[in-house]
Amino acid sequence: MTELVSIPGHWDFDYTYFAGEAASRFFAELRNTRVMGATCPDCRRVLVPARSFCDACFQRTTDWVEVGPEGTLETFTIITAAFPGLPEPPIVMAYVTLDGADTALVNLVLGLDLSDIGAAAAGLQRQPRVRVQYGPEPQGRITDFAFVLA
Amino acid sequence: MTRPAIYVEGAALEISFADGRRNLQELIFDTVRAAVDDSGQPMHEIDSVVLAAHDLVDGRSLSSMVTSPAAGAYLRDEIRYGDDGAGALAAAVTRLEAGHARRSIVAAWGRSSEHSPDQFSRSLFEPFRSRPLGLDEFVLSAMRAQLCLSAGDGAGPARERASLRRIDSARANPRALRGGGFRSAPHFPLDDADLPLWADVTAAVVLSTEPSPIRVAGVGQSSEPYNFGDRDLRTITSLKTAAGRAAADAGFGADTADVAEVDGLTLIDEALGLEAIGFAAPGTGLRTLAGDGRANPSGGGASGYSPPSMGLVRVVESVLQLRGTAGSVQQRSVRRAVATGGSVVAGQTQTVVLLEAV
Amino acid sequence: MSEPVAVLGVGQTTYKRRHPESSAADLIWAAAEEALADAGLGIDAVDVIIAGVAPDALAGENCVEKTAIFGTGKPFLRVNTGGVTGSSTAFAGASYVASGRARAALVVSLERMGQASTSQRVFNTIFDPVYEKDFPLTTITMAALRASMLMRVYGYSERDWAEIAARNYRHALRNPLAHLHLEVTPEDVLDSPLLAWPIHRLEACPMSEGACALVLGGRDLAAGRNAAWIQGMASTSDSYAMGDRIRRPEGSLVDLLSLQRSAVRAYADAGVSDPRKEFGVVELYSPFSSAEAMTYPALGFCAPLDGPRFIQEQQEDPSLPVFNPSGGPQAANPVSATAMVRIAECALQVRGLAGDRQVADVRRAVATGQGGATQFSTVCVLGTQTP
Ligand SMILES: [Zn+2]
Repeated sequence: MTELVSIPGHWDFDYTYFAGEAASRFFAELRNTRVMGATCPDCRRVLVPARSFCDACFQRTTDWVEVGPEGTLETFTIITAAFPGLPEPPIVMAYVTLDGADTALVNLVLGLDLSDIGAAAAGLQRQPRVRVQYGPEPQGRITDFAFVLA
Repeated sequence: MTRPAIYVEGAALEISFADGRRNLQELIFDTVRAAVDDSGQPMHEIDSVVLAAHDLVDGRSLSSMVTSPAAGAYLRDEIRYGDDGAGALAAAVTRLEAGHARRSIVAAWGRSSEHSPDQFSRSLFEPFRSRPLGLDEFVLSAMRAQLCLSAGDGAGPARERASLRRIDSARANPRALRGGGFRSAPHFPLDDADLPLWADVTAAVVLSTEPSPIRVAGVGQSSEPYNFGDRDLRTITSLKTAAGRAAADAGFGADTADVAEVDGLTLIDEALGLEAIGFAAPGTGLRTLAGDGRANPSGGGASGYSPPSMGLVRVVESVLQLRGTAGSVQQRSVRRAVATGGSVVAGQTQTVVLLEAV
Repeated sequence: MSEPVAVLGVGQTTYKRRHPESSAADLIWAAAEEALADAGLGIDAVDVIIAGVAPDALAGENCVEKTAIFGTGKPFLRVNTGGVTGSSTAFAGASYVASGRARAALVVSLERMGQASTSQRVFNTIFDPVYEKDFPLTTITMAALRASMLMRVYGYSERDWAEIAARNYRHALRNPLAHLHLEVTPEDVLDSPLLAWPIHRLEACPMSEGACALVLGGRDLAAGRNAAWIQGMASTSDSYAMGDRIRRPEGSLVDLLSLQRSAVRAYADAGVSDPRKEFGVVELYSPFSSAEAMTYPALGFCAPLDGPRFIQEQQEDPSLPVFNPSGGPQAANPVSATAMVRIAECALQVRGLAGDRQVADVRRAVATGQGGATQFSTVCVLGTQTP
């Protein structure tokens, strides 16, 4: 029987992701503690986070508007298992539609009592109101804020 | 069985570099939107989207998840090939011929400023026999160049003139990269000017079954073995076969084309490509590139390069030539054009597209 | 308008965590060889080869299938559409045959993720690097976000998820190709560790490796062969932005609008009007129970609010089609191949070649594909009748 060969490997590639002007402006506004959406001239939806085009209408967006800071939690998960390379559980991640927006954005929900996962989940299934809470030192990244119960 | 004729209704391309004002999706949107505007068709008349993009080029492990909506895929039939843009166009043609769609966007892109083309190239080699040697795709091009130059195939002065003409064409081409870009380190016997200018490239066309002035007259595809040792390095066999198939399809060959836009990783590959499709006689590819304005008038790889978009860039350049709107690189009375696109690994798969003004 | 297309041959390796005895090229060749033998054709009869490989990162090799180009000088293309890679690849081949450009197409999909030490870290890198990748979004958490919404909007319970999973495992016991052969009760599923509420470990699909191949041909080649005809096929893509779909009036995040649109088109071509009665077998691309539940209304099996009840109905009403006789993706999920495996299973069932898991008298079957951010959906209707 031939000994089967396997070779250790590492999959590592370098990238520089350009956020572009629209996302850069969105991040700059985040530093000013404002969450912005962009309006599609065709469907009139306020798209959050702001972006330069509406994929449904295949059209450039126009006016920017501030949304939130409060909103409605739409759906969520509570991550309870650890995965290599990802943050330590438990973590609550949710999609929230901020007031004035037509679309929801994803972020973490902080400050919840997670001692009983089932009870925490039942509470979140009631779609609580949440608000945007900024971290101490905004970096101009999507992680500058999280949601907390309003 | 007679197949319905397929036409190019709209075309657009953009070559830029590290334009921080736009993210990848926005680059794609701008070019696809431009191609759709060029076609004069409203979005609701388009029922299909066929894409060519590569995850490792895009740095998104399932690129089309993020990028396909930027190419107009919203609630449309969409498919993405991890292959060259001309190959995607060939596949789109079959969709339309089969009646599986009526009008299709075909788009391809690659953004060299976001990733490392050398890392990409090295990762194409399987980890057991070839990757440990540090091979990249230029190794094959260099070996081809060595064979071709040592045989005296237009070596010396022709190579130099071909190289200079390529740079002149790129300078004249209004769509070529203006500033920025970079080149990989050349392997002997290649030099800097032989190499592609890595750039951010997006290209798109709109294909339709409804008659319009530019027809896709013929399409041919072929492939070669993975191992270099199994290939004939003197010629690009797969391209030759693909050209034969396209000619059989069109009823005319690339040798009768008024313009040839041939994709090749290096200057020498472009020359061998011209020979493989029959636009240049064997051994005269470099001389043709040096002296015949109809061979790669766009400036080829010197105008800006990124896989897997180049075959579609060649198609768009050909369409503009047929329309007479190619700008200062426009050739005279172009009725027929041939475009080719090769894909990894080192031109292993090839597509030839014959276009005709009707 | 176009040449009808049939599946003439099916070839599959087994699906398991790793195949250390085979190279990527070996796996592709094994599946291709079996499919050609099943069709009674040699490689010379094939005019185009289309390969499907989803994220290259899962194999840790770039364009891994390129090592396996065989049949000198064939047109060759590679498809990558994430979860629907397998069905997209089959559809691409079908277009070559239907256009008349190929008499026979060999389509093959390979999953080589046995070479990956972790999949969820790779799956995090499929998300938008600007707005989303910083969060622990993975295929599992993405499914969990939908599962909790399904529970709130349509009244599913964790128990429903467990029942779907247990049924899929039970069916897989009769499929020798499946990755997992487990005797699992709904209670076992509920007792397995919670990964991301409400998803338990036994509800999530395994990481599987393997290859699947089909030989497709038109009327001339189908004559005298045991053919499963593609009576309808359709593919639809949706927005990437999950948040854009949460309040979308035409269909929310959990309504699988892309699958619904695909079903409408594929059913129309196939002449299917009552899916509850007209299909003998349904093979779903559902790596999670919640993903399966979302397909029921989208495929026309029930109204959205009747989803939970439909899970019970499947157990009680023998006139309904058999769902996932293969065990489905919860018992084997070779990502690149999974959507082709669904078509392969339907073809085997229609051709009466499904072995111990053969469902009696299958005249028509439907296979789905699902990929991206629940964003790419395919529907393929196969049957005994030439369309
Ligand atoms: Zn809009």
